Amino acid sequence: MLNFIVKRLIQIPVVMLVLSLMIVGLTQLLTPEQRAAPYIRSEQQAARLEQIIEQRGLRDPFPVQYGRWLNSTLHGDLGYSKASNQDVIATIKERLPRTIELTILTAIPILLISVWLGTLSALHKDKFIDQFLRVLVVLGYSLPSFVVGILLLAVFYAYLGWLPGSGQLNVVNTFALGDVRTYTGLLTVDAALNGRWDIAWDALQHMILPALTLVIVLSANIIKVMRNNMLEALTSDYVRTARAKGLAPGVVNRKHARRNALLSIVTLGGFLIIGLLGGSLITETIFAFPGVGQWVVDAARGVDLAAVLGFAMLTAVIVVVVSTVVDILYGVIDPRVRFD
Amino acid sequence: MKKVAALATLLALTTALAVAPKDTLVIQESADIPTMDPGVTYDTASGAITENLYETLLTYSGASLTKLEPLLATKWTISNGGKTYTFDLRKGVKFHSGNAMTCADAEYSFERNLVTNSAESGNWFISESLLGTGANANDDKTITWARIDKAVECNNAGQLVFTLPAVDPAFLAKLAYTGQSVVDSKHAAKIGEWSGKEADWKAWVGKDLTNSNLSKQPSGTGAYKFVRKDANAFLATAFDGYWGKKPAIKNIVIQKVSELAARQQAFLKGDADLIEGGGRAVDEEQIKGKPGVVWQDGFPSTSATAFFMNENIKATGLLGSGKLDGKGIPANFFKDANIRRGFSYAFNYDQYIQDVQKGKGKQRTMLLPDTFPGYDAKVNTYTFDAAKAKQFFQRAWGGQAWKNGFVLTANYRAGSVPAQTAMEILKKNIEALNPKFRVNIQAKQWSEMLASSKKGEEAMIVIGWAPDYADPDNFMYTFYSSNGYYFPRSNWKDTQVDKWLEQARNTVNTAERNRLYSLVGKKAYEQAPYILMPAPVGYSFMRDSLVGAEQKNFNPMISFSYTGTYWKELSKK
Repeated sequence: MLNFIVKRLIQIPVVMLVLSLMIVGLTQLLTPEQRAAPYIRSEQQAARLEQIIEQRGLRDPFPVQYGRWLNSTLHGDLGYSKASNQDVIATIKERLPRTIELTILTAIPILLISVWLGTLSALHKDKFIDQFLRVLVVLGYSLPSFVVGILLLAVFYAYLGWLPGSGQLNVVNTFALGDVRTYTGLLTVDAALNGRWDIAWDALQHMILPALTLVIVLSANIIKVMRNNMLEALTSDYVRTARAKGLAPGVVNRKHARRNALLSIVTLGGFLIIGLLGGSLITETIFAFPGVGQWVVDAARGVDLAAVLGFAMLTAVIVVVVSTVVDILYGVIDPRVRFD
Repeated sequence: MKKVAALATLLALTTALAVAPKDTLVIQESADIPTMDPGVTYDTASGAITENLYETLLTYSGASLTKLEPLLATKWTISNGGKTYTFDLRKGVKFHSGNAMTCADAEYSFERNLVTNSAESGNWFISESLLGTGANANDDKTITWARIDKAVECNNAGQLVFTLPAVDPAFLAKLAYTGQSVVDSKHAAKIGEWSGKEADWKAWVGKDLTNSNLSKQPSGTGAYKFVRKDANAFLATAFDGYWGKKPAIKNIVIQKVSELAARQQAFLKGDADLIEGGGRAVDEEQIKGKPGVVWQDGFPSTSATAFFMNENIKATGLLGSGKLDGKGIPANFFKDANIRRGFSYAFNYDQYIQDVQKGKGKQRTMLLPDTFPGYDAKVNTYTFDAAKAKQFFQRAWGGQAWKNGFVLTANYRAGSVPAQTAMEILKKNIEALNPKFRVNIQAKQWSEMLASSKKGEEAMIVIGWAPDYADPDNFMYTFYSSNGYYFPRSNWKDTQVDKWLEQARNTVNTAERNRLYSLVGKKAYEQAPYILMPAPVGYSFMRDSLVGAEQKNFNPMISFSYTGTYWKELSKK
């Protein structure tokens, strides 16, 4: 087991190296002028284009530019992000916990709801509830998050006024945030630890709509897979045997069928969490939620190379770590899986 | 169902408190704030912050672009034939850090701008005034510490003295630019900025201050004090130790909301007082006339935009055959004034105003905003006139252009609908004149176009200029002088115009300058080096609870363009 984990963790630097080489290499297809674009915000600064290119060494050959990035990265400096107007490390430190918070609030409902509804759908195959859920799944799958997000905002914020709009806190609490000591970086947790339940509640309310958007959009796929897996399991030999032994239907469905149907859901869940931790680009942008996704959208739009590279490094870590966890979980669910 | 209803009431109760409080100004915009260091402030998003945290020696009086009034200075005298400026500084002014402002702080601020003068900053124009060159000491080796030190000094009476190498009529206007704000020298040196001494000046030459320590921990004399900036928002609060009148609004919040629909909803609900809109067409449709919204229209524009007609096109790719044989154009196609006049008569100005500016546009007589000093409304303008255009084309190139025709390839900035529409209007009209005339238009990335146009490789482009300071020289010299910034793009040289422009920047006599700029305008009409795009008409909108933002005190040189005022002038009812 330990061997397996260590082997996996060694992958991280390798993945990072390859990723960074590819990204820096790709940007060499852009002209120095295009790469200087993030430093230019006005016609007047454009007038200084040549000096800016010169100062940043954007005309240097690829190995020199890559070497410069690698050297500073190895010294723990991922550079300065134009998109967030601060260092990449500082940006990730500030924004990743926000994304983790949203991931927790999103991934758990998605997985629970999907498993529940998928099972329900399979157990009532072709009955009304199954038909109804199948329509919902098609809807959820085909609605893009920017439509769902804006729709939810229009209904629950603008029209009904039940939930707050975009952002992470209301105006008064934004100022009060200065008094909140940071322990974890997770706003709801920190606020609660400081005894500021009002801020925690406010932050939680602000996360309802983005989380709901993601639940609607991301559940569909998993429900569908769960339903199919479940159907397959229900018709398998061991389920028939279990039924023949005279076990209660509930026990058969839960212990024998569902447990086996869950295997590929764990894999899908891993991908779901990787995707959510990498930032929900569109949802975070619509709801002005200050996670990594919102930052990456700005960075990509502005050819902010340092930020894109920093984000790629972060993704490499997330992908390797989460997929390792998923593989370990496999062993928990299916005792036949061994790591050595 | 009961449960749902209970939850709904609970939610509704807590969010009812969220509406923007009376003592807080809430602004939502899409982009982040690049920097809070005045030493590198050169865009309006940063300027809108620094102009409220910091103060300059003097500022524009109300909406005026010509009248300057004291801010951190109390008065000033000009001597030595216009080459020495002596400023009396305000007493009893405190920085946000608690330090008292002295002449040493002002001296430090200007010297810091001259020393660093990075490519990202707007310090080149103060350097032009004080050192006679826009370059920093890395690019111009003649700049020594002695020269910088001598350019701005404190005398024994505690007055700030500027010594200019030559007369500069725009000098006072340049001082009103927020980049020339007075910074807290003791605080800056303490947090690791330049010490202000000769010892380490070299290390700071050309340094990009965008992410400087001072940008992270600003301390100015302004009416508002920086509180915090995070991924969500920028926060500022009224400064208790401010020397002037206490501002009516206590807190300022600038929230970052990238999505337009989300901003609009917050604005219409009253959760935001000011938001970044989506352009005139969108805002007129979705914001104007809604309850609680104040819409103001008819603001003057301070930018100037034109079609450039390059008289020496250096890229062969755009020239086709490179000859006047109906399959291309020669590199000096636009050298013939009759071609330029023909093009100028072929552009449909009214159609552009209707199609692009929704009827809100205004033709100018020269490439200078009509609110600027030196603008002459009496100079003639071109109108759309196919017959006249035809006449000039027939005369051009000894009749060859008309007889053989031409193929011109023009690029426009990708994504810019105004530029694209303008090009399409021109193309249609030119091609209608003569079946042998062809204009091909294609989109090009902005950054690429900036680079290629600078090298003189674009045949015809649409670009504009926005002012750094309210002086006509900033526009007239840029567009019309053969030493100006835009010359490599137009390659239009007129020795007489050059002479007038040099004279105008070397005299402080306003009447004489006006006369000279008027002469340039007339000559430019006659020579038609540019097709002048009609100027847009500005507008703004805000919640009706906001007081103090009116057309009569809207100053276009203020970076906070939602109201054209400083925050301290606003209040809420």
